[in-house]
Amino acid sequence: MTKRIPLIARDLKRLYTGFLLAAVALFLLCSYLTEFNPMVLVANGDAFWEFITEDFLPPALPPASRIPGIFSSVLVTLALAMSATTVAAILAFFVALFGSEKVSPFPRFAKVVRGFATFLRNIPALVWAFILFSSLGIGTGVGFVALCITSFAFMVRAFVETMEDVSQDCVESLQAVGATFPQRVAQAILPSCLSGFLSWFLYCVEVNIRASTIVGMVGGGGVGLTLFSYIKSFHYDIALSIILLIAAMVIVVDQITGKLRKELLK
Amino acid sequence: MNAEMVKYASGTAARPARSERTKIPVKCRRRNRFIPAFLAGTAVLSILSLLYLDIDWAKMASRVPDIGLVFWDLFHLDFSNMDLIFSSLVETISIAVLSLLYSLILGILFGMLAARNIFRLPWLSVLTQSFFTFLRAVPTPVWVLLMLVCLGMGPEAGVAGLCVHTTAFFTKSFAQSFESIPDETIEALEVTGASRLSIFVNAVLPAALSQIVAWAGMRLETNFSECAILGMVGAGGVGYVISNSLQGYDYGTAGVAILLVFLVAYSIERLFVRVKKKFY
Amino acid sequence: MEPILRFDNVSKHYPNGVHALKGVSFEVAEGEFISVIGPSGSGKSTLLRAINRLIPINGGTVWLDGQAVSAQRGTALRQLRRKVGMIFQNYNLVYSLSVLQNVLHGRLGYMGGLKGVFGLYSEEDKQEGLDLLKELGLEEFAYNRASDLSGGQKQRVGIARAIMQQPKLLLCDEPIASLDPSSAKTIMDLLKSMTQKRNIACIVNLHQLDVALKYSTRIIGLSKGEIVFDGRPEELDDATIERIYGTSRENLMIGGHGNDQADPAHCA
Repeated sequence: MTKRIPLIARDLKRLYTGFLLAAVALFLLCSYLTEFNPMVLVANGDAFWEFITEDFLPPALPPASRIPGIFSSVLVTLALAMSATTVAAILAFFVALFGSEKVSPFPRFAKVVRGFATFLRNIPALVWAFILFSSLGIGTGVGFVALCITSFAFMVRAFVETMEDVSQDCVESLQAVGATFPQRVAQAILPSCLSGFLSWFLYCVEVNIRASTIVGMVGGGGVGLTLFSYIKSFHYDIALSIILLIAAMVIVVDQITGKLRKELLK
Repeated sequence: MNAEMVKYASGTAARPARSERTKIPVKCRRRNRFIPAFLAGTAVLSILSLLYLDIDWAKMASRVPDIGLVFWDLFHLDFSNMDLIFSSLVETISIAVLSLLYSLILGILFGMLAARNIFRLPWLSVLTQSFFTFLRAVPTPVWVLLMLVCLGMGPEAGVAGLCVHTTAFFTKSFAQSFESIPDETIEALEVTGASRLSIFVNAVLPAALSQIVAWAGMRLETNFSECAILGMVGAGGVGYVISNSLQGYDYGTAGVAILLVFLVAYSIERLFVRVKKKFY
Repeated sequence: MEPILRFDNVSKHYPNGVHALKGVSFEVAEGEFISVIGPSGSGKSTLLRAINRLIPINGGTVWLDGQAVSAQRGTALRQLRRKVGMIFQNYNLVYSLSVLQNVLHGRLGYMGGLKGVFGLYSEEDKQEGLDLLKELGLEEFAYNRASDLSGGQKQRVGIARAIMQQPKLLLCDEPIASLDPSSAKTIMDLLKSMTQKRNIACIVNLHQLDVALKYSTRIIGLSKGEIVFDGRPEELDDATIERIYGTSRENLMIGGHGNDQADPAHCA
């Protein structure tokens, strides 16, 4: 036989081939631009292992006098994430009401609201932190505001989507009854969307636990700052203990939010 | 309904005097009591958190006008450092894409090991899953910082550090997608005498492909914004330009860089929305 | 003649205490078309899955083509499995792949190493797959996604995949339970003609007594994990049916008639 029998339809094959070629081209282009060579990692393998086994392992405890301070810095990180998410959620709820054409009393401005949220969301939290640091000075309060901005913008989008998914019909029916805007919110939107909102809220808490650690590293305080100072002073073994502590904190929070989410969606 | 109400409803009794009526409930009897408790708990926790943080609101409020000034300065875009901004942005995008592609391959490999239904070795799944849960729990910049220490400055540290977290994320989500393939489909290939690896490549992977694409698209957004901030903790890229020019009061340059970061992030988001629409 | 399949006092109990098979023994010769009937939970599905060791058994021996199935591991088990095709109630295709790719999955058991892993099928196999699809009336769908097909068409792809294995024995687990009556008839006709043409022995689990009576050369009746009947369809009398199902024949036929071909109604 001279002609090969194809396995899949020709246009599908073309699509896959195109996709694969694009990925390979992108890969080559990016490797060229960054001069990234995975072989460097392999060649540096020895140094890498040396670092891990000698500087990094085993994890060492920080001096006993520092331990209470470290735990209170963990608490700061947790408190930062928790309060920032709650404040952001409350603000996002009210703004989201105006961000959906189907719910808002001023449908024409819905696009403006969403566009504003998109702008806030697409600038990373750390960039916000830096902008605010240069105007408000370094401190926990700035970390709080920076976290608020991104989680607010994220939740506006998520809440608008939840409302459009869930409550279209019941909002319409209440509109037909002649209910006012606050009545529609309290009687139709809140009951049908609340568990969806809270589920997004929990997701945001998870994200913010990590984000508040990062914002802490550049000056927001909390356990991120502690870790950063140990790394900068070459105490890698102590840094590893703190990394383990951060991991434990994140995993515990993820477990709790996971449980709560299951309970919510029951 | 009590007898009184039945009578009232059927019109046989006169409307009872107001004082005799009890309140008629309108809500379902079995309500989810969890939500009110959850809301109350959240409120208490948040208030306690705010008190614990002890933020000096007055001082912050007094400086609020400065924010306006900073934004005013940021909007005076200064294009004189365009070369630097542009090359650093390209570097950032390249690092994000490269780490995504490397992690995609690693994630499929490790996801295969972590999924319970491919090799049917529970100890292997548990081991892989818990290792990557640990890696995922530590924020990306921490990994990048450590990579900077052992690999030195350069894109290698950025790619390697981002790969750690991205691979961990992909391993978990791909394993989830693989496990959502019905057992019967795998059984059907098992009876043809196919090996576990060929079942994976020929049946599980194609069935999970659309989900893999969705995860990858979602992750590209995250990777770009993670990558944009890496510079701020000491790695290169556009983040370094932003933090450096902000600290040097060169707001015009910072404004251009931030604007470009926004535009790239926004176009990735739009692109992904398009791809998603086409796929489903 | 050496039987294809021999059950020798096979028993199976699950960890939850259910005895699915209790000392089952029978033989299957080449070219037989056997229906296994019995109420839900009588062990039909376990019996079928014990043959290719999808479910390991606890006692006795299953002999397949002269080899003890329970003794095989790894590669040897896979080589034994490819002699046995299987068809499922829910078709179990990979719906994101093309119909032809699904059919060719039947060859994976014959392909070693990387060729099998990456699905690099030979031209002969592909041609055979296309010929099979033509025989089943699906040639125009070869390059459609499997998800585009109707239930009856999906089951035909399932048959093609099993036949691609060039099996000596075909196991069908409730092949028509999810199909409408006319597709069900097509599938049963195809099963019968394709296995007879290739001299493949076929064991079918069925819920529908009338279908079993019409198509089989032999019927095995299972009740609570034991064989209570093993013989030709003509020999199956009302008293035996009552013993298998625990209820009279009239109660089993929704339409009320026994052997009505035009009415392949689902029985209890």
